Amino acid sequence: MKKGQKLVSVEKKFSLWLVAAAAMHAVVFFLALYFQLWDSSQHLKPKIVSVSLVSLPGSGSAHQYSEEQGSSAAATPVPPVPPRATTHPPVVKKTVQEPLPEKPQPVAPKPVAVELPKKSPVELPKPKVVDKPTDLNKVLERLKQNVAKKTATQPQQPSATSLNKALANLQQKVKSDGQQTGSGSGGVRSSSSGSRSSAGKGVGGGGAADPYKAEIASIIQQNWAFSRQLLKNSYGMSVYVRINIVADGTIRQIVFDKRAPSEYLNNSVKKALEKSSPLPVLPKEEGGRDIWIGFMFTPEGIE
Amino acid sequence: MLDSRFGIFGLLSDAGPVVLMVLSVLLSFSIISWAIIAFKFGYLRKSLRESKAFLDYFFEVYNVDKVFTESENFRHGSLPRVFRSGYIEYRALGDKVDIRQARARVARAVKREVNAENKRLSTLVPFLATVGNTAPFIGLFGTVWGIMNSFHNIGQTQSASLAAVAPGISEALIATAAGLAAAIPAVIGYNFFTQQIGIIERDLEEFSPEFVAAFINEP
Repeated sequence: MKKGQKLVSVEKKFSLWLVAAAAMHAVVFFLALYFQLWDSSQHLKPKIVSVSLVSLPGSGSAHQYSEEQGSSAAATPVPPVPPRATTHPPVVKKTVQEPLPEKPQPVAPKPVAVELPKKSPVELPKPKVVDKPTDLNKVLERLKQNVAKKTATQPQQPSATSLNKALANLQQKVKSDGQQTGSGSGGVRSSSSGSRSSAGKGVGGGGAADPYKAEIASIIQQNWAFSRQLLKNSYGMSVYVRINIVADGTIRQIVFDKRAPSEYLNNSVKKALEKSSPLPVLPKEEGGRDIWIGFMFTPEGIE
Repeated sequence: MLDSRFGIFGLLSDAGPVVLMVLSVLLSFSIISWAIIAFKFGYLRKSLRESKAFLDYFFEVYNVDKVFTESENFRHGSLPRVFRSGYIEYRALGDKVDIRQARARVARAVKREVNAENKRLSTLVPFLATVGNTAPFIGLFGTVWGIMNSFHNIGQTQSASLAAVAPGISEALIATAAGLAAAIPAVIGYNFFTQQIGIIERDLEEFSPEFVAAFINEP
């Protein structure tokens, strides 16, 4: 009897310790989770200047940027560089959220065909510069509505033809450079219109027939190494990113307006942009000023 | 909730069923190991402390009746338990048994209690050794499985870029990390308890004849 009672008390004690150990593990688990959340919140300070689904045209944001950062670039014109951007080491000077490493990125032509940008670039009205994240949603909605209106009103045929023209120009340019263009596997949607950081002028340029944007879209697309099959869930997987290109084609700044839940997709976009820097020299019409161009990366279209 | 921004937990949410199963096994191993470590630590510490105090009292008094009465205060010590079992056997003999027979019977009773005490001391400790030996291999199994899947995906995508390979491998390596996290405390605990149990066992072997002699040569 006594031995039985002793055994029961020992078992009780052990099960108590078992519960305590489980609780300790749970506490450690939640502490680790809390630490990671805290750490990510420390590192991911949203330095959002403005949000645009498609692009950041107009004088508002452009003016601000040129005042804050781009004035030196506008004042001192940079000597032109050869147009094939991928053969030069990138010189990315500043990134909003993650620093871009400087390393030479020779690009091997990939055996993928260049796909057409899926969305026709649309010219947008001048966006407001919004500093708060709550206002960003409003701006986002407004821009979406504007884009929807414009695409509804504009006939599809002209934009398609202009796009074809742009691509034809691009192909001619590529052929003349003597470089091979591979077949792309990307889903880069160059949905940008020209956001010209014109130091106050704010010319809302760009559009469907902008060969420069089509060209850089194709370069980024070629440099984008991404596989949709590695994503378990493609829901909500889209990255809105805009880049600031200075006159010599160098990507000066990369701003993630919306990050995807998958770091793999985010990193692949970041690396593609890094790899693509420096891009071809800006066209002369830009007048030696830097421009902002927005892109949307989604896993769609990649199989 | 736990998307991939949140480091390890993001990787866990993307892990496959085999890796998750391996992780749950390792988690249960870790919980049981820590429970054993905590339980045994208290048990052995108490046993050592009380045995030492009992031995001090035993050599101080040397009267078995008094020592037996005092031993009731040392319920968790191994040496007091052995002494009590020998005393009970000695008192059960009566006056008719000759001294040689009495010595043999008391020695047998003491020996039986020593064996029981050894078993009691080493209960659950071998589980720590099992965890220490197997947990890294279980974790390694999860890692190998994850890397297999990762390579399979690479084959499907026909891309060997680091961006394609790295997520799967880092996801798989969590299993090895979890295996090591379960095994390291278990091995440390096992070594510590083996050493403590060894000390108590040596005490039991050394002082058991002393107890028998104390009963038989009682003044």
